[in-house]
Amino acid sequence: MPMNSSDLAEQSIVLQVVIGFLYPFMLLLGFYVILNGHYTPGGGFQGGSVLATLLVARYVVSPREDINSEELHRYQRIFLALILVAPAVVLFPGFLHSYPRIRPLYLTVMDLLIGVQVGFGVGVAVLRFAFFEGTGKTWRL
Amino acid sequence: MRYFLSALLVLTVFAGVTAVGTLHQEQLEPSIFLYITSFFERDTAAHNAIAAILLNYRMYDTMFEALILLTAIIGMKQFLPTSKELRDADE
Repeated sequence: MPMNSSDLAEQSIVLQVVIGFLYPFMLLLGFYVILNGHYTPGGGFQGGSVLATLLVARYVVSPREDINSEELHRYQRIFLALILVAPAVVLFPGFLHSYPRIRPLYLTVMDLLIGVQVGFGVGVAVLRFAFFEGTGKTWRL
Repeated sequence: MRYFLSALLVLTVFAGVTAVGTLHQEQLEPSIFLYITSFFERDTAAHNAIAAILLNYRMYDTMFEALILLTAIIGMKQFLPTSKELRDADE
């Protein structure tokens, strides 16, 4: 079962304070890796994984099941559709070839889309497994 | 005997494939490698060849890689019960 409020009071205060302190830095690192993607190898996938650790950290501090993973999955699908549409509109018809000015913009936007999509996707996966494990009834299946 | 024969078959196929692979090695001209490392910055405005390959030269690869994540999540949603279902089954 997800923990109730009396269990939450027994959570380590050290963990809560440290993760609360690190939270904005994790967000910052994730978006830094994503937006720096075309200067470094990769970018989108790695940054998305860093963003997904936000959800993991939140689960470690308060394992309550109040994040709707359906909602996260819907956002992931929207971003995935954009990932499929953007190259089909911009890259494959050859606009990048004719307009060299939009090349860096295209790279940044694609990195951002891939990063957010991977962040939502890995987040859904982690939460799903975490609460499946957290119920403690897996052996009955 | 059957186990021995099947193990022999697997080993023979493995040895055969390895032998064919090592005997017929062809060294191709590294023309794509040379092209990409020389012209990726002019072609794509990326400052890193790997980013250029991922987002321009091999865009299909990245698209289907993103689809793999969706497939994994759909499989997980199909086969993992939610905690609500587990609670209902418990009662």
